[in-house]
Amino acid sequence: MFKFNKIYKEYDAPILGPISLDIKKNSFVSILGSSGAGKSTLLRLASDLIKPTSGSIEYANNEKPNIGFVFQDPTLLPWRTVIDNVLLPAELTSKNKKLSKEKAYFWLSKVGLEGKENSLPNQLSGGQKMRVSIARAMFQDCSLLLMDEPFAALDEVSRNKLEDDLLDIWKKNELTVLFVTHSVTEAVYLAQRVLVMSSNPGKILDDVIITEKRLRDDGQQSSEFFSKINYLTNILKKEKSE
Amino acid sequence: MIKRYLSFMAPIITFLLLLFAWELIVNFQNIPKYILPAPTDIFTSFLLNYSDLLRSTFITFRITFFAFMIASLLAIFIAILFSQSKIIELSLYPIAVIFQVTPVVAIAPLILIWVGLDNAEFAILILAVIVAFFPVLANTNLGIRSVEKNLSELFSLYEANRFQRLFKLQLPYALPFILTGMKTSIGLALIGSVVAEFVAGSGTSTGLAWRIIEAGNRLDVPKLFAALILLVVLGVILFLIMSLLEKILLKRWDIDKS
Repeated sequence: MFKFNKIYKEYDAPILGPISLDIKKNSFVSILGSSGAGKSTLLRLASDLIKPTSGSIEYANNEKPNIGFVFQDPTLLPWRTVIDNVLLPAELTSKNKKLSKEKAYFWLSKVGLEGKENSLPNQLSGGQKMRVSIARAMFQDCSLLLMDEPFAALDEVSRNKLEDDLLDIWKKNELTVLFVTHSVTEAVYLAQRVLVMSSNPGKILDDVIITEKRLRDDGQQSSEFFSKINYLTNILKKEKSE
Repeated sequence: MIKRYLSFMAPIITFLLLLFAWELIVNFQNIPKYILPAPTDIFTSFLLNYSDLLRSTFITFRITFFAFMIASLLAIFIAILFSQSKIIELSLYPIAVIFQVTPVVAIAPLILIWVGLDNAEFAILILAVIVAFFPVLANTNLGIRSVEKNLSELFSLYEANRFQRLFKLQLPYALPFILTGMKTSIGLALIGSVVAEFVAGSGTSTGLAWRIIEAGNRLDVPKLFAALILLVVLGVILFLIMSLLEKILLKRWDIDKS
């Protein structure tokens, strides 16, 4: 999907780097790390919102993919209805102009918000607002979805439900997901691959492949699931104590 | 229900009791009308002079309204210019501050000379605009700058151009700030138009300030009070209209503006 080639980023002090990374198409990658590890900076670099101080980002076929970004807060425009918030990318980006209103309705129903199209954001719960944000990202046919701690502010039940819905969306679409989180369990539960980042400056400390799939519904997690959680927790603890 | 009724009635009853006490004290102490007229004297004076007083109220309202509209539109336009260019902001903001800190009474004679003594009403309008301008400018500027970083990044991600960013994000986001500025500004426009009329006179038209001066010179204190009360009522009505407008326009906004 894209490659980071020896990426450095600094403002007044070094924030990130060197980072070399290869993200495969249609993969689900979680990024774990303590605060200040540069996880959000990594996403912003991947989305081209900020430029690296040195190094380069290489997109497959030299073509920047359609990128959807879901922030920690839902970033909805409070004066617009749910449907108008989802339609925003079609109004702003010329290549999205052809996207139809039906498609916005389709994605809202996909994220479980059928019937809420004409509600205002302040009439929705935190979880519902986040669903609108995901629908907006998916509406514009994104092939790369960048998510910056999107479920951090939600209660556990909403969070679990959204995690499962996100996995469902990922499986049924041609989608590469880069998911930043603080939660080790969430990272292991969602991703095929977990990148652990150290701080000052942010570097990739470990790159862990998750092979066994998880079963939340019947509560039977594989032993690999737990051993990966323990392994990653220990890395984070060690990193913090250093 | 009773609590709601009480909270509505309490200020009205208090006000009526105060008026009653005022009436009693003035009558029992035989306070002369030219010092403190009783509420009934003021009411009588209003009935005797209502045609003059209401005409003056309308003139003051007209100047206040136009000053407020001109000040608001000009301030929003300049705040938009500020948001588009740092150089324009750095160049013009100090001038706006100079106008804000200069007492309107100090520049009134100058403005009067410039526009001509025959155009006193125009001079008052300019002075009221100067007084009402700054709160809208400062608040609009602040509102535009307060746009959340994530929202701004979202617009960058969608490759929004300058105008889309301004009209679909910055200005709607700044609306609560703009309305706060306008609420302050409308009161200041009234104060500005009254103070300016005190200093500049009113030429051919006579606003409420002129009625107050005139009544004061003649020691017609009941009429002075009547004009003063009309001024207060006008100010309160203008404020309430702005508050109502704010409530209607901000129905869609979260309280925390998130």
